[in-house]
Amino acid sequence: MFLEIKGLKKGFGSGDSRTEVLRGIDFSVEKGEFCVLLGPSGSGKSTLLNIIGGIDEPDEGYISINGEKTGDMKEKALTIYRRKHLGYVFQMYNLIPNLNVKENVEVGAYLSDKALDIDELLHTLGLYEHRHKLPNQLSGGQQQRTAIGRAIVKNPDILLCDEPTGALDYNTSKEILRLIEQVNQKYGNTVIMVTHNDAIKNMADRVVKLRDGQIRKNYINESKVAADDLDW
Amino acid sequence: MKNPLWKRLPRELKSDFGKYIVIFLFMTLTIGFVSGFLVADESMLAAYNESFEKYNIEHGNFTLSSKTSESDLKKIEKKGKVRICENFYRDEAVDADLDGDEEGTMRIYQNRTDMDLVCLMDGKMPETKDEIAIDRMYADNNSLKTGDNIKIDGDQLTITGLVALSDYSCLFSDNNDMMFDSVKFGVAVMTEEGAGRFGETHLEYRYSWQYDKEPKDDIEAKEMSEDFLEVLVKYGDVTGFIPGYANQAIHFTGEDMGGDKAMVEVLLYMLIVIIAFVFAVTINNTITKEASVIGTLRASGYSRRELLIHYISMPVLVTVIAAILGNILGYTFFKDVCAGMYYGSYSLPTYETRWNADAFILTTLIPVALMLLINLLLISRKLKLSPLKFLRHDLSTSRRKKAVRLPNFKFFNRFRLRIVLQNKSSYLTLFIGIFFANVLLLFGMMMKPLLDHYQEETVKNMIAPYQYILNVPEEPEEDEKYTVMGMLQKFLTPSLKTSEKSAEKFCMEALKNVVPGKDGESITVYGISENSEYVSRELPSDGVLISDGYSEKYKVKEGDTITLKESYGSEEYEFTVRGIYDYPGALTVFMPITSFRDAFDKDEDYFNGYFSQEKIKDLDEDLIAATITEDDLTKVSRQLDVSMGEMFQLINVFSVILFALLIYLLTKLIIEKNATAISMVKILGYEDKEIISLYLTSTTWVVVFSILFSLALSTWTIYGIYGYLMSSFSGWLTLYLEPVVYPEMFAMGMGAYVLVALLQFRRIRKIPMDVALKNVE
Repeated sequence: MFLEIKGLKKGFGSGDSRTEVLRGIDFSVEKGEFCVLLGPSGSGKSTLLNIIGGIDEPDEGYISINGEKTGDMKEKALTIYRRKHLGYVFQMYNLIPNLNVKENVEVGAYLSDKALDIDELLHTLGLYEHRHKLPNQLSGGQQQRTAIGRAIVKNPDILLCDEPTGALDYNTSKEILRLIEQVNQKYGNTVIMVTHNDAIKNMADRVVKLRDGQIRKNYINESKVAADDLDW
Repeated sequence: MKNPLWKRLPRELKSDFGKYIVIFLFMTLTIGFVSGFLVADESMLAAYNESFEKYNIEHGNFTLSSKTSESDLKKIEKKGKVRICENFYRDEAVDADLDGDEEGTMRIYQNRTDMDLVCLMDGKMPETKDEIAIDRMYADNNSLKTGDNIKIDGDQLTITGLVALSDYSCLFSDNNDMMFDSVKFGVAVMTEEGAGRFGETHLEYRYSWQYDKEPKDDIEAKEMSEDFLEVLVKYGDVTGFIPGYANQAIHFTGEDMGGDKAMVEVLLYMLIVIIAFVFAVTINNTITKEASVIGTLRASGYSRRELLIHYISMPVLVTVIAAILGNILGYTFFKDVCAGMYYGSYSLPTYETRWNADAFILTTLIPVALMLLINLLLISRKLKLSPLKFLRHDLSTSRRKKAVRLPNFKFFNRFRLRIVLQNKSSYLTLFIGIFFANVLLLFGMMMKPLLDHYQEETVKNMIAPYQYILNVPEEPEEDEKYTVMGMLQKFLTPSLKTSEKSAEKFCMEALKNVVPGKDGESITVYGISENSEYVSRELPSDGVLISDGYSEKYKVKEGDTITLKESYGSEEYEFTVRGIYDYPGALTVFMPITSFRDAFDKDEDYFNGYFSQEKIKDLDEDLIAATITEDDLTKVSRQLDVSMGEMFQLINVFSVILFALLIYLLTKLIIEKNATAISMVKILGYEDKEIISLYLTSTTWVVVFSILFSLALSTWTIYGIYGYLMSSFSGWLTLYLEPVVYPEMFAMGMGAYVLVALLQFRRIRKIPMDVALKNVE
């Protein structure tokens, strides 16, 4: 078992205004698996992703990667954990606005001793001819491809994607999904993707459905399809 | 309904309290100081101006070699259309601390009842011959007070009061001096009997005059004084003639006060402009951050004007409140501080605080107007964009520029360069601020070493430890030389000879240089003996050498021709400059003694001074008009140190605070601007030290570059303004920038930066990772 999530609970606020966002989450993901966390708004999927990403802490329970529990980690160790194991892709890209495409990818490459070749990756991402452009000179899809490039250039064990297509049109969304699929297959990273787009579950190896902070369904997708064949 | 956006202001203030409070305090204190300065300046200037009438100040004075008769005085008064009164004085050596050493000179007048009346500031006027009332400024500088005793010419006297003599608001012992000397030179009044106890050895026959019809301005005063001098020379041997408009002891104070006012105002406005730019850069950043909100408000019907008013209201409000509070502080606290500074330099009469409408406008309306204008200009440009552009976060006012291609430096260095390029306007404001602070700092820091250096150089380059200027007795006229009277006159004339072996004769004449559009200033012309022991350089027979002070101040170089004219006459002399002589502290011309005698039509054995290594003891005291020693030559630096020393310190502290404030505000802004990116790199796994290294190193580069470049630029600026500053002084202080000042300034700048950087370390560490997560632009 590569990633294990056990008894995870998380709430916000106190007293009457306290909201329990995660109410005991248990599931695991194998190495190289493509896992989709599905659920409506407020189901707790982004909070779960943030806890997996080591940028938020659970109230109870733990996450273990290769037997290493994040709950035992201090701030510095968590930073190293993120540095070593994780790549992050957000809905709004979060590119550094004053760096060009190549430099944004280098931000990720700097963190790894086994970084991928940047130019080759830019070719793979279809960004090589745009490598000198700033983020505000790119389309949404190009920006998201750059964000994916930044996340995967360090060849992370886990690629965390938080609604990566949430801000994109249909065609661009499919293009991004194709890219994530390609990355997963080519580099063998574990992918955990949060989405509320039900159609995306079809391209996943594992689907975890959340509602009201609890897992409603957790199953292996036996009828996995290629990103190209998705439709919504 | 009131615009609900107003409710944001207190919240904005609360959320960025640190920024607003430092700007507010800095502006309040600066405006307070300037307001206090202007109020004190105006009130004291008014008291000073009124003193001309109140104390019946003379229109000029002249000194004769002997007392003139009543009938001659009447004739002079009639022909010169003036009223004259005696104002005789004696310069006596004073021992202020009663240690047995005479360390200064006291100029003693009888109490005046006609012209140049005396303002009693403390105690009472002297009533017996053992009592004296001394100048308040001299008393302060020598720690003397009413009731103390001092020794003058060996006699112990009791100080009964402290006074300000209306014709000595500035303690110039000699009108040709470059600077006054309130440490070693003082003025005093005694009773007639008291002043008479010192005999006639040092008695100067000075007369003060007032025109029957007061001149309208300096031009008329000049013409009238020239006419009066023509009358005067017919009735006596004039040894001194100082028209009122040219009397530094009377007018230096008023001119200096006016000059300071302009300088302080310029400093205030420059500061307000810099802070206005800081505000504008900050607000532009807020507008970028709030683009979606602005887009939504504009789309909902809020006008551009409403938003503009909203965004500029905070800087304007801060300036208004700082101006009001600053003015209150100015009228209460700072007024006394500034008046104290003037009283520390000048011997001014008492003053009353005056409501100063100008000061109010200059320190309230103009700063607010500047703040408003600069922010309007810079912010309205950005708010002109369409609502859609705001909603799309597309805030570039010009066509999209391509990213600047950077050389293939290491990734971190390229990242830092990108930060520099991204924050160009902030860094430019920072550079301008650092430059401004460094000009002030350099000025504050250079003066003490400059004065010390001047003192050292002056002492090192003194022509002789003692220079005696002699009163040369009049020779009998040519046709009387061989008459009984002529021979008797020659026989009775005391000898100018001395047995002092180191004594060497010289000739000296005080002329004025001719400067187009300006009154010339006193130039000392020396005729030096052949094979001189004191002026080692060979002197040209076909021209003159000038001191480097003269050369620097008037930009005269070898080969130029200088024109000098008589101080009290119209005769002009032209000399060709054949070289520059290393004599920094004075405006001086050197020529061979024979050339001097030819040029000024003197006898072949004429001389009127001695250079000497030792004190000359065998000359009749009456023959010695003046002795120039080290003390006389160094009084400029001494006085400037006393008058301005504290001011220089104040400038230094102000500059460093300004420096730190700007760095703090702008680095804070840069970090806030990049908060999302910093949060994002934290999520990616960058450690704090790496993030600090990325985001603060770029600022460090800019600060180091700005300090170094502005050191060069401020040196150049100081060279530019120094000549202008010195042009209002007579004489010259060679501009000397001690090299150690630069590393000191660099260290002070970097020290301030390190302190600010430590604060910013904390700020970077505290940026949470959820900033990037919440960023749903």
